[in-house]
Amino acid sequence: MRPDDRKYMESHEWAKLDGETVLIGITDFAVDELSNGNEGDLVYCDLPEVGRQLEQGETFGEIESVKAVSDLNTPVLGEVVEVNNEIEEHLEILAQDPWRKGWLIRVKPASKNLDHLLDAEAYEALIAAKAQ
Amino acid sequence: MTETWRLITTWGAEPAFNMGLDETLLRSAHAPPTLRFYSWQPDTLSLGYFQRFADVRGTDRAGAVVRRLTGGGAIHHVNELTFSISVPRNHRLYRGPIAESYIRVHGAIARALQELGVDPKLRGDDALLSERPETGMCFHKSSPLDLVWDRRKGVGSAQRRGKTRILHHGSIKLGPSPLEEEVATVASTGNTVACEAFAPILAGALAQGLDVTLEAGGPTEAEREQATDFGARYIDPAFLKRR
Repeated sequence: MRPDDRKYMESHEWAKLDGETVLIGITDFAVDELSNGNEGDLVYCDLPEVGRQLEQGETFGEIESVKAVSDLNTPVLGEVVEVNNEIEEHLEILAQDPWRKGWLIRVKPASKNLDHLLDAEAYEALIAAKAQ
Repeated sequence: MTETWRLITTWGAEPAFNMGLDETLLRSAHAPPTLRFYSWQPDTLSLGYFQRFADVRGTDRAGAVVRRLTGGGAIHHVNELTFSISVPRNHRLYRGPIAESYIRVHGAIARALQELGVDPKLRGDDALLSERPETGMCFHKSSPLDLVWDRRKGVGSAQRRGKTRILHHGSIKLGPSPLEEEVATVASTGNTVACEAFAPILAGALAQGLDVTLEAGGPTEAEREQATDFGARYIDPAFLKRR
């Protein structure tokens, strides 16, 4: 079971309330899909500048593996207030700990309501359906 | 009943339009699954999305330069058939590990090439004679899923996974390029085919291999306009040299 302390997008990003801000990352499923279990297959990640205003659903960055570039999509409307710059140099963190050390950006949201996103149970069901 | 895909063919289109139309098909909310065949006028060097401009040899020797939305190495689009597949992200063709989607598409390409007398196979663990990673060229760097013949890479492909759709780019080498020496081509096997003649053969193999029906059509007027709008950035020096 994926962590139930956060919400999920169908495109495999997660959003976790952290005080007045929201941490955003990608799920283990997204990492596995891109890297096929080989963390060395992740090669580049582009993240936004601090201060950028993000619309809900907008692409805030991109990640490249050996065989695919994937958009990173924004779960909430808000302003980027912090970027995990370590990720761009150490993509293996995403494979090792996508839930904590692997956060990508911190956003000051216009609203702390995350009800428009999937809870862990619904996200699990989505992943299970993909496996069929 | 098999699924129907649209087949778009645009020969000799401008580089910016080629990339703009593929982005239109990737970002579209309503486009049907689409297979596209195209060629380039003038010959064009396309950089991988994350490549550094300075790391690619030959940017001053091609008729034009663009940066693709898909990753990987640079490709000199000359004497080749270029294709793109754009489908919803949850399409059955792209479910499961990314590797499996390459195997499905490359299997169909291999069958099409076999009709020309070429005998391609997945590279697997084989060492290739076309490896020249210092050039920054896609065809000079290989992975186990690449299609090869005569121990050289002859097909390059890469995917972009958008929020709602997937774009799969591919290039099949029909003849030589001065920027891609030592790669496999159809011509290097003693066979000759033009992209316009190979396209229907590949269309048939993809339709059969992917279990779809292809219906010839063009981009809609709205798609053409969007492609022109999106296309401008692909030749913009700021985008080309963003890295």
